[in-house]
Amino acid sequence: MADVRGCNVPEDLMYNVENNVWARREADGAVTVGLTSYACSLAGQIVSYTPKKVGKSVKQDKSCATVESGKWVGPAKVPVAGEVTAVNEAVSGNPGLINDDPYGEGWLVKLQPSDWEGESGALKTGADALAAFEAKMDAEGFEGC
Amino acid sequence: MTVRDPKQWRLLETGLRRAAENFAIDRALLESHQAGTSPHTLRFLRFHPSALLGFHQNVEQELNLDYIRAHDIDIQRRLTGGGAIYFAPEHLGWELFLDKAVLGTADMTVIARRICEAAAAGLSSLGVDARFRPRNDIEVDGRKISGTGGAFDGDSILYQGTVLVAFDVERMLRVLRIPAEKLSDKAIASAGERVVSLQGLLGSPPALDTVRQALATAFGQAFGALFETESQLNPAELPLYEDALAEIDCNDWIYQRNRPETEAPMREAIHRCRGGTLRCGVVLDEPRQRLNQVWITGDFFAAPRRLVVDLESALRNTALVDLERNVGRFFDGYPVQMMMLGPDDFAAAIRSAVASVPEPVDG
Repeated sequence: MADVRGCNVPEDLMYNVENNVWARREADGAVTVGLTSYACSLAGQIVSYTPKKVGKSVKQDKSCATVESGKWVGPAKVPVAGEVTAVNEAVSGNPGLINDDPYGEGWLVKLQPSDWEGESGALKTGADALAAFEAKMDAEGFEGC
Repeated sequence: MTVRDPKQWRLLETGLRRAAENFAIDRALLESHQAGTSPHTLRFLRFHPSALLGFHQNVEQELNLDYIRAHDIDIQRRLTGGGAIYFAPEHLGWELFLDKAVLGTADMTVIARRICEAAAAGLSSLGVDARFRPRNDIEVDGRKISGTGGAFDGDSILYQGTVLVAFDVERMLRVLRIPAEKLSDKAIASAGERVVSLQGLLGSPPALDTVRQALATAFGQAFGALFETESQLNPAELPLYEDALAEIDCNDWIYQRNRPETEAPMREAIHRCRGGTLRCGVVLDEPRQRLNQVWITGDFFAAPRRLVVDLESALRNTALVDLERNVGRFFDGYPVQMMMLGPDDFAAAIRSAVASVPEPVDG
């Protein structure tokens, strides 16, 4: 398990580092999307989650869910485009799951990607992702999770 | 993205408007700021009488619709988080559109604190002792004078707050969905102990321009910024404003998360213990098993007086499973004097309220 400044960054996931989100291609071709532990640390305790509805198409870098923490509201932006095929009912019931388990039970949406091959190439993974998060944290003056 | 001057900000005064127009401007400015086509901005705004929901709130769970309709009050949904508020023409709104680079951090808690401390300094320059109260309030001697909230998109942030220049506590209470009991004279007086206006503190309301000037000076000092005054949106913002207005100036937007009142029942209970009587009310989010709101009154001794307000604030959005832990954590860090009363009594009072039969929902 890799970490950057105390924030867990699993090396097997694909990241859009700028938007602080991850993607994982599942065996059935779907893509699971979530916030990184760094994003959760910046946000603080998440108290509300409103995903886009199942069946909606979301373009790359557009919002698939809105989350609220400490009176801050902001979008979670998808790393690749696709149609929302599932939203996380467990997170609807307990948005704090996003903080507790951002790469597991706290996932945001599942997508049927429209161009995984074309769009996923620009995402970062493994050591590249760790280095990119380190640079982002440095630029943002982040001390650690 | 255009290069923005971090020290040269726009001071935008958009006047007295309908809530839909105000929030369409918010959306346009945040979007345009994110696109690099808006400068950093301090905006002052005012509202025709409006009930303003937090982004994730539900109209029927938060507002007293009968009263609102009878008094011609607008309803709108903010871009920002937090709770429902009543915004009157005599209140002043302030907003900052900045990026994380100006603030020197991406940590949302730190950003809120820096901005609120600057706003508090501005209000203090009017002759009151305003301070930031975590997480998002500015208070004078334990009484709230300004509530705040934020929204972000990428590196751009919108952070907004209210200033109660003058204040009608009863009207505020009637707009919000709260139990009838809280509208008794005593309850209104008690709410008046938790909220305060500049008029209440200074004897007469300061001119709005004086308040604007005080806030602008304080933000300028805190962030090293100079202002150029404008009263119009720029050419990049105008079309975004028109689009946003078309989208939000309708019931589909306002009622979009319409979860029924019955999913968030109000419950009350009285807890008697050696230290006195605690009367506790809760609004419980049943599907999420979470406390939306908690209020505590009763006959007991606890000092400082603001203890209860701070506890209520600390327990907002607490998951029921975490109740005792959160109450304990609050008291661990709080200097308090209580007579024959302990944290367990507060937790027990809240538990009693949760377990009680819900009050019938008013038609």
